[in-house]
Amino acid sequence: MLFMHETHRVIGRHAAAFEDLYRSGWMGALSRDGDARLVWYLNHAMGSGPSYQVVTVTAITDGPAWEALARRMLRGDLSDLATRLDSCRYEVEGKLLRPVDWSPIRDLDLDQIPTDGREHDLSVYMQDTGWPDAPLDDYIELWDKDYWQHMRRTPPDKKLLDIQACFQVAHGSGIRPEAMLMQKIVSFSTLGGLLTSVEKHDPTTWPGSYMAKGLELRDQWESKLLRTTSWSPLW
Amino acid sequence: MVGSVADRFEDAYRGGWMPMLAKGSDARLLWYFDLAHGSGLAYRAITVTAVEDGGAYARLAERLAGGDLQTWARHLDGLQHQSVGRVMTTLDWSPRIGALRDVPTDPAEHEPTMYMEDTMWPFPGKLDAYIEASGLIYRRALAAEDARMHMSIELALQTMPGAGRSSEVSLLQKLSSLPRLIDLLTHEIPPEVTGPGSWMHEALELRDQWRSKLLRTAVWSPLR
Repeated sequence: MLFMHETHRVIGRHAAAFEDLYRSGWMGALSRDGDARLVWYLNHAMGSGPSYQVVTVTAITDGPAWEALARRMLRGDLSDLATRLDSCRYEVEGKLLRPVDWSPIRDLDLDQIPTDGREHDLSVYMQDTGWPDAPLDDYIELWDKDYWQHMRRTPPDKKLLDIQACFQVAHGSGIRPEAMLMQKIVSFSTLGGLLTSVEKHDPTTWPGSYMAKGLELRDQWESKLLRTTSWSPLW
Repeated sequence: MVGSVADRFEDAYRGGWMPMLAKGSDARLLWYFDLAHGSGLAYRAITVTAVEDGGAYARLAERLAGGDLQTWARHLDGLQHQSVGRVMTTLDWSPRIGALRDVPTDPAEHEPTMYMEDTMWPFPGKLDAYIEASGLIYRRALAAEDARMHMSIELALQTMPGAGRSSEVSLLQKLSSLPRLIDLLTHEIPPEVTGPGSWMHEALELRDQWRSKLLRTAVWSPLR
């Protein structure tokens, strides 16, 4: 499974048209075949970063399916849609992601992803992208043993995040070393605490120990607060 | 690259990547370039690897993530600060590299060759028009006997959706005259090259942002 992760710098006055092209155009066009689905449509929450930035994630069964989709966008039946999307944005930056071995999204069933735009509550995700200065494999292992495993043991009422996916960049389609977590925020009060508290990380307690250990592998990452639309297939 | 281990980085490609790909039939290292010192960022290498198709690309990515190339990738992590990749496809009018099986995998050493890599970002909605015009006008102008620059397009590429920045076109152009390059660098571009009716002038309707890199092949680069 590959995931086409795209970050769009949208022209503000065309933001509604851009979203509609994804909802009525892209999602619907992919639903006619079985090998690709729009998974998330996310707006970067205003007030937490750049304006009018949209993140979309499209799941694709394998390499040949990605190539076929890309060629449809360049020269095939999706080229008109691609041109219309281009007219609503300044730029799009894409990368292909592979779920790591322990990623919960690894066994995603494309047939189970809604394609009808059914509406639901909004969710907010914390997308963390990290760039280790140690071997990438060591960083992903740290995320597994010292972050993901710990979160799984955390009682629901203490949880801030629920990890939905962990990816590494498919070689040659973006930055190496880079890995990414898609984490659904499950407690906004805890998020508020994270944003406003001045924490001293005690290396003998979690998450202090994780923070301290993490510094041995990386000190550069970026968190983005992304909010699903009411029709995003996953939310 | 980490400057202090630049030689080891190059050797990882020469002694590792190139021969490991040669064991299969669906991927080949084509070029190993150094960005010429004095023309841009220090200790930058550009590599171009050809894969047969989307399936071959995904298999290669899988081998690097968890297969027989994982150890090599881990080794490379210690020799570079970062790499930035994109997956590209050839333009319809691009020269072809031929069959992958014919790409040398144990090339004899040769003189370094200079390339100018131009990467353009056409205006929104102008990608197809730019691709067509660059093939019809720019490519032919380069090939003309009285061309100002003595260089030839070896490969013309566009970035695949979802695997880099869009819209983006790159031209790999082999330089055959260093004096012509020096002339370009040290003189104003004459009005007849930039005025109405010229490629420089008319193409401004399609794009005005591009970046040139001066690249030098390694002496062992499979293509030169």
